[in-house]
Amino acid sequence: MDSTALEAKVFDLIGYMTSSARNLIDETPAYGPFRLVDAASQLVAILEEAGVQSPRLTALRQEIDKGKYSVTVGPDEFKAFLDALVDTFVDYLDPGEPCCGP
Amino acid sequence: MDLYAAIRGRRSVRRFASASIEPAVLERIIDAATWAPSGGNAQTWRFVIVTEQARIAKLKTVSPGLIGEPGAVVAVCQDLAAARAKGSALGEVLLAPCDAAMAAQNLLLAAYAEGLGTCTVASFTHRAVARLLKLPETVEPILLVSVGVPDETPKAPARKTEGIVHWEVYGG
Repeated sequence: MDSTALEAKVFDLIGYMTSSARNLIDETPAYGPFRLVDAASQLVAILEEAGVQSPRLTALRQEIDKGKYSVTVGPDEFKAFLDALVDTFVDYLDPGEPCCGP
Repeated sequence: MDLYAAIRGRRSVRRFASASIEPAVLERIIDAATWAPSGGNAQTWRFVIVTEQARIAKLKTVSPGLIGEPGAVVAVCQDLAAARAKGSALGEVLLAPCDAAMAAQNLLLAAYAEGLGTCTVASFTHRAVARLLKLPETVEPILLVSVGVPDETPKAPARKTEGIVHWEVYGG
């Protein structure tokens, strides 16, 4: 993907995020968290298309895409999905190796 | 420092100069925190002082409200099992968070007296912070407080006066 195409996709994503930000003031509150994780998934997809290889980003995107529509099932299901997603993120953020050496 | 001057002078600081904080200073402000009152003198608060910048960076990743580059982050926690053992449901649900807040306020004022800036943060992912700080299962983070050498002096927001204070009865 060249920089022109990349810029165009990011521009579209910014549109999604800024219009969501404005619209969500008057929309269903749970759609706010949904739009956040969906935007995260779209961002990773853009990076993948641009040739950025990251197993952890791909894993996170796949987990998001698998569970994000739990928002339409119910608040408990959506919370459980988000809790699990946070756990996965922390698994990558702090994989159990010593944080800070001497 | 005059106590009223500290109460009125303290600000929520979100921009810090990159400077480390002496451990002895941090110990003093945490000691001040432990002199807060607690329901039934429970003292079930627990404090985790984070000064390693790599660890602070990880905390920031899961704490949208944690802004700037503080020299330290203090996690003001509560052992909720101990709070329940001491005060039943009231102890766990009401007293523990209130006690943590009172301890945090002492911490803020003591830090100000030491020339430091602070910001109290409630916008963080509890389960992620608990994992990063290796908290035991019964210990819950209640607030995060960023502490550092201030690089700004925010203006004080106006304080509401109308309808705030009532004498004898509400509306009096």
